[in-house]
Amino acid sequence: MVVMRMNSWLRLSIALCAVVFAHSGSGQNYQGRELVKAALLADTSAIAPGKPFTAGLLLRMAPGWHTYWKFSGDAGLPTEIKWNLPPGWKVGEIEWPIPLKTNDPGDIQTYGYQDEILLMQEITPPAKIDISPVKLSAEANWLVCEKICIPGGANLDLELPTSAIADPKNTDLFARYRRLLPQKFPDSKTANASWSRAGSDLHLKLISENLANYPTVDFYPLPQGNTVVGHPSVESRKANEITFRIPIESPDKNLSAMPGLVVFSKFPNGNDRAAWQLGAPAIPAAQATQPPRGIFTFLFFGFIGGLILNLMPCVLPVISLKIFGFVQQAGQSRQKIFRSGLAFTAGIFAWFIALALLLIALKAGGRDVTWGGFQFTNAYFVLGLSVIVLVFALNLFGVFEISLPQSMTRGLLASSERNDNFGSFFQGVFATVLATPCTAPFLGTALGFAFTQSPIVILSMFVAIAAGMSAPYFLLSAQPAWLRFLPPPGPWMVHVKQFMGFLLLATLLFLLYVLGAQRGLDGAIWASCFLLIVAIVCWMKGAFIVPTASAGKRTFALLLMLLLLLTSGVYFIGDKFQSAKIDLAASNAPGDWQPFTPERLQTERDQGHAVFVDFTAAWCLTCKFNEKSVLESAAVREAFQHHGVVKLKADWTNGDPVITKLLQQFGRPGVPLYVLYPGKSEEPIVFPELLTQRILLDKLETISTAVASQ
Amino acid sequence: MKTKLLITAITAFIGSALYAADVPPVGSAAPDFSVPDANGKTQSLSEYKGKYVVLEWFNPECPFVKKHYGSDNMQKLQSEYTGKGVVWLTIDSNAPGTEGNLTPEQAQKVMASWKTKQTALLLDPESNVAKLYGAKNTPDMVVINPEGKIVYEGAIDSKASPNPADIPSSTNYVKAALDESLAGKTVSKPTTKPYGCSVKYKSS
Repeated sequence: MVVMRMNSWLRLSIALCAVVFAHSGSGQNYQGRELVKAALLADTSAIAPGKPFTAGLLLRMAPGWHTYWKFSGDAGLPTEIKWNLPPGWKVGEIEWPIPLKTNDPGDIQTYGYQDEILLMQEITPPAKIDISPVKLSAEANWLVCEKICIPGGANLDLELPTSAIADPKNTDLFARYRRLLPQKFPDSKTANASWSRAGSDLHLKLISENLANYPTVDFYPLPQGNTVVGHPSVESRKANEITFRIPIESPDKNLSAMPGLVVFSKFPNGNDRAAWQLGAPAIPAAQATQPPRGIFTFLFFGFIGGLILNLMPCVLPVISLKIFGFVQQAGQSRQKIFRSGLAFTAGIFAWFIALALLLIALKAGGRDVTWGGFQFTNAYFVLGLSVIVLVFALNLFGVFEISLPQSMTRGLLASSERNDNFGSFFQGVFATVLATPCTAPFLGTALGFAFTQSPIVILSMFVAIAAGMSAPYFLLSAQPAWLRFLPPPGPWMVHVKQFMGFLLLATLLFLLYVLGAQRGLDGAIWASCFLLIVAIVCWMKGAFIVPTASAGKRTFALLLMLLLLLTSGVYFIGDKFQSAKIDLAASNAPGDWQPFTPERLQTERDQGHAVFVDFTAAWCLTCKFNEKSVLESAAVREAFQHHGVVKLKADWTNGDPVITKLLQQFGRPGVPLYVLYPGKSEEPIVFPELLTQRILLDKLETISTAVASQ
Repeated sequence: MKTKLLITAITAFIGSALYAADVPPVGSAAPDFSVPDANGKTQSLSEYKGKYVVLEWFNPECPFVKKHYGSDNMQKLQSEYTGKGVVWLTIDSNAPGTEGNLTPEQAQKVMASWKTKQTALLLDPESNVAKLYGAKNTPDMVVINPEGKIVYEGAIDSKASPNPADIPSSTNYVKAALDESLAGKTVSKPTTKPYGCSVKYKSS
């Protein structure tokens, strides 16, 4: 039957297609059967000006035939609705009820709807409507399949009177399909989702007590762009925990998450099915398609970053000591100088590689891995760093010399005089440790990118930074002749050393600022009190513990120093600093920014407001820069206000676990993160770390806010 | 230089380990097959080694296939590239008793009436070739280079619709892959999501 007069048959069928496409009724007929009956309906009896209502495309399919979901699966096409609305009217995205999953021979998996489906969209009329009744039209196109597939379409009208008073209509129908809409992913108390990538597979781990009640739990993927996804499967399941394996068949190596639905029911495709919506992955487009060459550019920046680190106020002092070492060695054998330079370089590499391995191990273990946050969210880490920076500054000022032979610090600091390679190695390590307060705020962002990459890239990144940082010394020690550009040893070295001390004090100021952000003014003051005692103890060391003093005097001074340290430590830190707390919500949400909570976000979104969330921390310099230059700029403030965007600030200074969870959901190891939730059901928009006014303003223009008119 | 080489090697190694899925990915060797064509002649992929080969999954009943044949789009592509020495194999992998399955006589008639221009129309009622390539759609397109490596697999073009009116405004991925390959360049979009009807496998 098929083949006879194929040519004319083909012409006929194309003509038939054209007829179906242009058909302005409600039915799709094929070989004398009605396959799909289509109609537009509203959940209201009348249109009230300015008041959003829901319209729905109702498709009734002949038995055995089905239409498709937003993601149709291995075959098929999603239904399309093109509204033709008068100016001033707005329409939201299609709200897709949870589909049924079908398996056909040959392992062909599709997602669609059988018998009947209602595809709902929110329509917002303008505040003023002149005519009544209003006729709204839409063109719907679908593909309906049984054993074969037939494209269908219809031009449909929805006619409603205009009236301030409107009654609900089609209540049962709309209620039935609203029940089948996926819900927002619940808060972290109810459920947690985490993503990981192993080879070409994505793994989605869900932990929730709710899941235990459902025999059938599935993941329906919503791949973006050109990503080709295989069939998700349940890899492991325990009472409260389920892990899905989602094979990625396109070469998106950097894809780290995928939006989709977590669907659960008593039976497969059961009518009781419910679903949680997992949001869009937070991968900026530039990163999602990282060309192979991109990695080298990326590593080059790491190298430059490492080079620049040498000029940081916290690193420069250590480095200058090393240069002095070279100056003093100028007369010695080249080999010796080279070996010492090599040891110093090795120290720098050792520290960075150790850090990289630690982070890779933590990441592999599924731990919360962050760089800045890893260290900087801990107030005691910052305090410890402050002490080291202060002690080193005092040492440079000449308040005391580190000269105790049994002290480790001798190996670390004073060994430029001893000129042994072991010492040089530790100097390298020390320079890098001391670099932390400078690396975290700057490199934090760059490393943040690295963490979304494979272990090889993480390691390469750290090695590139280490190479950049050590390059000058390595070159200087390999070519000591270049040292002749430096003046010969002399009193200028003491002055440079003392000046470097001030750079360290500047670093200390930054650390105190972070402490202040974490523990408030009180916390910063109590920490400073302790630092003062540390300074006094250092001075005592320099003044009294000298070879000329008698043994008794020295012992007494030493005991007094220990006592001072101990009592001030217990009092200022153990008691006062410990109990200094700060109400982050109150202090860190200046102006019209509101403190972020997941509940707050939910409430605002439920009310249909667009929400912008600024994930930030006091120690994050990139965040501060973006806030000053973009978020607080007049143009952006005005645009936010104009679009009625609610601004929430999520402060991660202290590593709030709720915020950590959210960052992870967006695939981020730390702050900054900027997210715009445009409307009730639209996917959140994620902005790049380095925010510009242009990017933000452009996006704000595109959001369809029902808010602006309210 | 050395580091670059090392990283390239490591990346290549990991890359090859990653895509050990059940579908041969782009870059891997195209699996060989031997099936009869509409004229009863046995066609093997291996006999075309040294030439570019296009595989096109086919179903004359499928609206997505009709979109490209009814508009003459597919025939034009076939004649343009077979003219450039490319081997074009159209494959019907639909099982007997399903829509789109063709007997040799039916296949010959379709070719004649639709004025198709492929090198051969292969009949694969056991769906063996489709299984080898993990083909799930009609049309589903694969481009193989003279070394026998897959350089493209996915959709025919960028607009997933059955509407022939969309053809002029869409990007033809097969054309792009062939033009780039023939010019000695690497294919810029080597994988896309195919769209269309499902290949009608035998119910097991």
